[in-house]
Amino acid sequence: MKSLQELAFKLLSEGTVKVVIGYEEGPRGVRPAFITDPAQTSKLIFDRRCTQNLATYLNPRRKHITALGKAAVVVKGCDARAVAGLIREQQITRDSLVIIAVRCGGVLEDPTSTAELTADTTSPRCGQCEVREPKLFDHLVGELPPAPPVNPRRSEQIAAIEKMTAADRMDYWNQHLDRCIRCHACREACPMCFCVECRAERALPQWVDPSPTSRANRAWTMMRVMHQAGRCVDCMECERACPEHIPLGLLARYVADSVEQRYGYKATEDPGVPAPLGVFRTDDGEEFIR
Amino acid sequence: MEWSPKIVAFVCNWCTYTGADLAGTSRLKMDPNVRVVRLTCSSRVNPLFVIKAFERGADGVIISGCHTGDCHYSTGNYFARRRFAILHDLLQFMGLENDRITFSWVSASEGNKWQQVVNETTARVKALGAYHPQGKVGQAQ
Amino acid sequence: MTHRFISHEKLSKLVADLVAANTRVIAPVHAHDDAEQIDYLPIQKLEDASLGVQLPRRSAKEFFLPTTEVILQYRCEKEGVKIEEVPSAAKPQVILGPSPCDVAGLEIVDKVMSWDYRDELWFGRREATTIVSLLCSMADATCFCTAVGLGPDSVRGSDAMLVPTAGGYVVRLITPKGEALFKNYVSDQVDALDARVDKAVAEARKRVEANMPAIPADFAASLERNFDHPLWKTMALRCHGCGACASVCPTCHCFDIVDEHDDSERGVRRRNWDSCQTARFTLHASGHNPRASQNERFRQRVEHKFSIYPSRFGEILCTGCGRCSRVCPGGMNLAEVVGEFRKLATAAPEGGAR
Repeated sequence: MKSLQELAFKLLSEGTVKVVIGYEEGPRGVRPAFITDPAQTSKLIFDRRCTQNLATYLNPRRKHITALGKAAVVVKGCDARAVAGLIREQQITRDSLVIIAVRCGGVLEDPTSTAELTADTTSPRCGQCEVREPKLFDHLVGELPPAPPVNPRRSEQIAAIEKMTAADRMDYWNQHLDRCIRCHACREACPMCFCVECRAERALPQWVDPSPTSRANRAWTMMRVMHQAGRCVDCMECERACPEHIPLGLLARYVADSVEQRYGYKATEDPGVPAPLGVFRTDDGEEFIR
Repeated sequence: MEWSPKIVAFVCNWCTYTGADLAGTSRLKMDPNVRVVRLTCSSRVNPLFVIKAFERGADGVIISGCHTGDCHYSTGNYFARRRFAILHDLLQFMGLENDRITFSWVSASEGNKWQQVVNETTARVKALGAYHPQGKVGQAQ
Repeated sequence: MTHRFISHEKLSKLVADLVAANTRVIAPVHAHDDAEQIDYLPIQKLEDASLGVQLPRRSAKEFFLPTTEVILQYRCEKEGVKIEEVPSAAKPQVILGPSPCDVAGLEIVDKVMSWDYRDELWFGRREATTIVSLLCSMADATCFCTAVGLGPDSVRGSDAMLVPTAGGYVVRLITPKGEALFKNYVSDQVDALDARVDKAVAEARKRVEANMPAIPADFAASLERNFDHPLWKTMALRCHGCGACASVCPTCHCFDIVDEHDDSERGVRRRNWDSCQTARFTLHASGHNPRASQNERFRQRVEHKFSIYPSRFGEILCTGCGRCSRVCPGGMNLAEVVGEFRKLATAAPEGGAR
C-alpha cells in the first residue's frame, strides 16, 4: 500500500524511527516484517491476509527487537487495543513508539491463504469489530474497506458448549487439552503475556506442573486465561499459534463476554481506561455468592 | 474405605476464620471434610489456589471472606468479588460443576452461617462424587 | 530389498490379525477434532486409516519419545526411599503408512540416543515396533526431503514400504522384521513390480526435487564459519521462541526431566518434550543465560541441525518435512534460512573466522 510505504520511508530516512514493524510477503504468505533500511520499505503491504497482531513484538522482553531502536508499528484497530494495553500496564510509554494505524475491512483467519473474505474464511473476531477505523495512532492510513462478513463459527461453538452438561463440557475440553504439549506458543504469541517469568516456569513453588499431562494442561490453560481476564483483546493469536489447533479463542471470547456482561468493559484503544479487574464498583453483581 | 470428599477452604483471617472459630467454640456440628487455609484477606486468593486445589485432588473448594463494606483492608473483597466472578464463569465453562465451588461472605459473628456453608457444600459435593477431570494423558500415579 | 504384491484385502486381513493378536496398529487417520487434519492414531481396521492423504500434523516420534513419560516412581517409606524403574520393554506395535520423512527421522535420532548412553526407553520402543512406510506423493511447496539426502522413496528406518499400485500395493521388503510381518500375506512375484515402483518413485521425487537443490557436503563447515555472521541478527526477529517448530519436528528430541510429587510420600520423575527455542532453555542456576536473545536461540536451532549434528554423527538433523515452516505463527521458514546461508557458502565469512 503506497501511503504506508511512503510513510515508512519518511520515518526511517528522517531517523524518526529505527525500525518499522509491519507486514510483508513471505515464502508462505503474509508474515511480520522488520524494516530498518528505507530502501526496503516497498516490501510493506497491508491487505486482508494481515492477520498477525504485531503488538506482541513490542514486549520489552524481546531484547533483540528493542535493541534495534525506536519502532513504528503497523496496527489494525484490534492490535491498537493491545498497544493500549501495554501502555496501560506500563510496559511501554506512548512516546516510545510511533503507531501507524490502518483502516481495516477484516482479515482472513489464515494469513497464508489467498482466499477472499467469506463467512468461512474471515476471522471469527472480525464480524463484531467496532474499530475498523482505529482511534489510537500517530498516523492513519488506507481507505476504509466494506465491513467484513460475519463468521459465526465461534459464537455457535460457545453457544453449543453452554448448552452441554458439565460432564460433556469436561469431555470437550479434555479432548482438546489432551493434545496440548506445553509449547506455550499461545503465551508467546499473545501481546498481553509479557511477564519476565511466567507463573508456569516457576519451580519453587511449582504452581503448575510443566508436564503435558491432562491435569497440568488444564491448569495451565485456566491460569493463562484467568491472567488475561479483562486484558485480552481477542486477537485470537493464541489459537492461531497453537500447533495442535486447540480452540483457545473460545476461552478468550467467553471470558471477554463475561467481563463485558458483568462490568460493561470491552477492550479499548484508550490506555486511560483502567483494566476491569483492577477496579470495582460497590454494586458489582454477586449472584454466584451463596 | 468409603470415599469422603476433600474440600479445601480459603478463608480470610478477619471475618470468616474468626466466624469458623466461633462455630468451633460453639460446638456446632460440622462435617469433617473441610481443610481450612487461612489468608489475610479474600483478595489474597489467587485463582491459581483454586485451580491447583482441584488439580491436586480436592473434590470441592470454598472461598469465603468479609461481607462487602466490612473488609478489614476496606476494599479487598470488592476486587476479589470481580476476580471470583470471572473465575466462576470460566470454571463452569470448562466443565466444573457449579456445586463443587462455594463463594460466600461469612462474618466473624456468623458461626452458624459457617456451619451452614460447610455442611451444605459437603452435601453438594458428596452428591456429585469425587472430582475426576482426568483426560487420557499422564494419569496421576 | 525384494518386491512383492499385497492386495487391499490381504492388507486389511493383516491389520485385522494384528489387532486380534493385541498388537497396536497406528496409522494416519482424519483428526477427531478437525476433519481436515491428519493424526497418527491407533486403528482397529484398515478402513479406519486415511493413507496418503496429507502429512499428519504431528510426526511419529511421539510413539518412541512420548510428549511426557514416567521414567521412575518413588515412594517414601519408613525404611527409606523406594524407587521403581519403569520397564523398558515395550508392547509390540506396527506403524502403518507413515511418511518416509517421519520414519527417516527416527533412524537419524537413533544416533544421539545411542551416543554416550543407550536410551533404553527409546530403543525398547524402537525394537518393539515394525514400521511400514508409504511412498509419499503428498509433497507440497514447503517440503524439501530430497535436499537433505532423503526423498519420498527413502526407506531409511522402514522395515517395509508400500507403493500404491493397481489392486493394492507393491511391498518393498527391507528388513527381516518387515519380511516376517508380510510373509503370509503377500503374493509371489507379480509382473513388472520393479517397473511400477520405479515409475512411482520418479513421479514422487519430481514433485519435491524442484523445491530445493541438494545441500552440499561443505554446508556444515560453512555454517560453523559463519557463526557470527550479521545475518543472525535479523533472521529471528519475527520468531516468538515458542518451540512449536520443535514439537512437530520428526528429529527434534530435546527433553526436560522433572519430578512431580503426588503427595508428601509418592511421586514420579517425568521426561517431557522441551525446546531450545524457549527463553529459559539454557538459563543457568547462576542467572547467566548464554543464549539470552531469540537471535542466539534460533541460530542454535539451525546450527544444531545443519552443522553440529552432522559433524558429530554424519547426519543432517532434518528430514525436510516442512512442518516447522507450516506451523510457525511468526512466519519463520527453514528453507529460506538455509537458502540465505547457502549463498554465503562460497563467499568469505563475515564477522571473523571461528
